[in-house]
Amino acid sequence: MAQMLLTISNDSSLVIDSLCDQAEGKDVAVVGLYCDFHTQHEQSTTNMLGAMLKQLASRGGIPNHTRKAFREAKEKFGGRGLLLPGMVDIFKKTTTSLSRLFICIDALDESPSKHRRELIESLREIVQASPGARVFLTGRPHIDDEIVRCFSKVLRIPLSPTHRDIRSYLEMRLDRDADPNAMDDELRADIMRIVPEKVSEM
Amino acid sequence: MSAGHQQATGNINSFNNNNSFNNIVNFITNLDDEGRQILQWLSPLEPQQRHQGVRADRLDSVGNWVLETSVFREWRDAENSNLEQVLFCHGNPGVGKTYVR
Repeated sequence: MAQMLLTISNDSSLVIDSLCDQAEGKDVAVVGLYCDFHTQHEQSTTNMLGAMLKQLASRGGIPNHTRKAFREAKEKFGGRGLLLPGMVDIFKKTTTSLSRLFICIDALDESPSKHRRELIESLREIVQASPGARVFLTGRPHIDDEIVRCFSKVLRIPLSPTHRDIRSYLEMRLDRDADPNAMDDELRADIMRIVPEKVSEM
Repeated sequence: MSAGHQQATGNINSFNNNNSFNNIVNFITNLDDEGRQILQWLSPLEPQQRHQGVRADRLDSVGNWVLETSVFREWRDAENSNLEQVLFCHGNPGVGKTYVR
């Protein structure tokens, strides 16, 4: 379990970094979080969505509608914590005007199934209100059904350890090539693409 | 909008660029009292801290291939539409620790 988290996290960190690099200076936001089996008692859906809103706030400031909702909650309920519908509502109001929003949820399978269902359904509601939104999820394959049930277009990339090990090994070997002059970028790219494919088919 | 608020929004593009952790600290430091209460009200979780840790440990060449796949690009660059664009990267546990060392 821990190993899974580690490697998948590495991949999605990379994805988040790459999206952030691309997003710099544009009206694009990248938010992300990790589901962690060990802290699942803190990871209610409401808390998780709220954590992403905090990331958005540190990028664009606290929106006026959020301040207003907070003041109302304080007056009426003495500052009671948000419930899920209120959180989803704030989220939608915050993100609907963004031209691109990337939401990255790592190790989704680590969140308990009840929370997971809530989270996926909340994400759907948010994404439907924000046409520029894209959702990136990682997890073990068994949660595929739950994802497909909620979203109209699901693309998939299998993270095969074998495939990745092969690539890592190839890169190491190519870097140590005794005759680097015989290599060019195109050939290297071909090797990196074709060899793992062929090995996976074996 | 407070001066601190403006300063923070000017600096920050994302939560996890190299300087962004400091930016978040600055953002919170410069925030008014109500702003701090609002962040706490939104969530007790601080996911950007975890990301910093994972990023520092990462071997750069691992996983780059994901970004080069046509599927990833299709998802990232798709025109806005009524379709909910989701990319699911799935894998099973069982990768040796040596792999990320």
